[in-house]
Amino acid sequence: MNASDSDEDIYNERSALVRSESPALPSYIPDSDLTPPNGTPTKRLKAGISRRPGAAAADGGGSDPEVEAEEEELTLKYGAKHVIMLFIPVTLCMVVVVATIKSVSFYTEKTDQQLIYTPFTENTSSVGRRLLNSVLNTIIMISVIVVMTIFLVVLYKYRCYKFIHGWLILSSLMLLFWFSFMYLGEVFKTYNLAMDYPTVGVIIWNFGAVGMICIHWKGPLQLQQAYLILISALMALVFIKYLPEWSAWVILGAISVYDLVAVLSPKGPLRMLVETAQERNEPIFPALIYSSAMVWTVGMASPNETQRSEPDEEAEQSDGRAEPPSRHSRLLPEDEMEEDRGVKLGLGDFIFYSVLVGKAAATGGDWNTTLACFVAILIVCVPPWTAPPLCDLKHKQELLKTVSPAAAQRHHEHPDDSFINPDCI
Amino acid sequence: MNLERLPNEEKLSLCRKYYLGGFAFLPFLWLVNVVWFFREAFLKPSYTEQLQIKAYVKRSALGLLLWVAVLTTWITIYQHFRAEWGEVGDYLSFTIPLGIP
Repeated sequence: MNASDSDEDIYNERSALVRSESPALPSYIPDSDLTPPNGTPTKRLKAGISRRPGAAAADGGGSDPEVEAEEEELTLKYGAKHVIMLFIPVTLCMVVVVATIKSVSFYTEKTDQQLIYTPFTENTSSVGRRLLNSVLNTIIMISVIVVMTIFLVVLYKYRCYKFIHGWLILSSLMLLFWFSFMYLGEVFKTYNLAMDYPTVGVIIWNFGAVGMICIHWKGPLQLQQAYLILISALMALVFIKYLPEWSAWVILGAISVYDLVAVLSPKGPLRMLVETAQERNEPIFPALIYSSAMVWTVGMASPNETQRSEPDEEAEQSDGRAEPPSRHSRLLPEDEMEEDRGVKLGLGDFIFYSVLVGKAAATGGDWNTTLACFVAILIVCVPPWTAPPLCDLKHKQELLKTVSPAAAQRHHEHPDDSFINPDCI
Repeated sequence: MNLERLPNEEKLSLCRKYYLGGFAFLPFLWLVNVVWFFREAFLKPSYTEQLQIKAYVKRSALGLLLWVAVLTTWITIYQHFRAEWGEVGDYLSFTIPLGIP
């Protein structure tokens, strides 16, 4: 047991909340060396992980305040790691978008062509008219999104999986082949390179086919993540190009509001999607979610959907090291079903953050604007998705049981106590 | 997909499928195969299926090298002779650079 403790061990939700029996180990954050092994846990928010030292797991005998404080500290540490794990893909996506915007002029050229979702033009004479048009465009766009989401939820509820899969495959086909073809063409034109059809054909075919395989079937995790980031960037670029200026900003605002409504309100379509998936113990479709670890768990809350993230703990396996069997046996019985979970963020979030930053880069001439937007998004938008505001009681109960039966009992009696549950959204 | 978690038969099956898929003009798939299964094939202590996985990885690497050679040759030829080919060159071209070649 002692020999295996290191940061490379499985650090999933189970082991995070079930305390190891080994003595206190120093974490890689220097100040936590001061944490007394068996003492009252502090509430310092650490940006890294540290092994929870101390008494045997889930003994249920700890005093209530201590147990609760302990849980909260674990949760805080949990959340902090998630935040950092999401920074990287979000940053990468934005970097790709901004790099393209700054170098390939195609995506910032004024065009009169607009998407059919935004039929009202912005080339109007008066400011008022332009504002009205952009609001109308937003209304249309948001209605389309709402209708599509409801349609998706209805299909999911009535188990029309084939239709949904076909739809997702079609849309990822389009993204991977058509948009990337356009993108490649524009990049070559920008750098004034000659390129022939056979080579381009081979490149696009390879890119697209391997992308489809990785996203919809099986492939290396990093490659899948890279593809998801790339298609989000492509989508964001399309939005930046074809959404008129003011409409884009109003849409961004409206989408955020809609996002909150759809997820938090009990009848919100996204919430219903998540709950249905939970009831059926199924993962949400692969093409909609970015995950830092491939497989989803069975059972415990895995709410994944287009516009949300989930603060699961990453549980990257240590490479090449056989797991000490004793470790598994100490974890809870559902361990066989639980596999690597990771932080999950809906691709919609990627796309809209990137649109924000891309628009800022396109409109504002200098880098200060872009950097400011980027930092603002990372600070404001990413942590809330990893902190779990949503939590229904059922999951709180389950999770608490894993930590300490006493705490679970206490929660059962006082269900209204707010408790941050890392297992939920 | 975490290879560590798969049983050996599934690893072999996956490797084989990637190998076979690469024949559909997909050298990238062969590249992914080589990179992904490299550790499995060469750096792990041996197990029954490892020999076959090794074979697939080696063949994928071979195919990849072949494709790289062909593509490099073709691209070199094209870039060098494009201007001289006149119409045929333009017909083949996806993008034509501006200016005097």
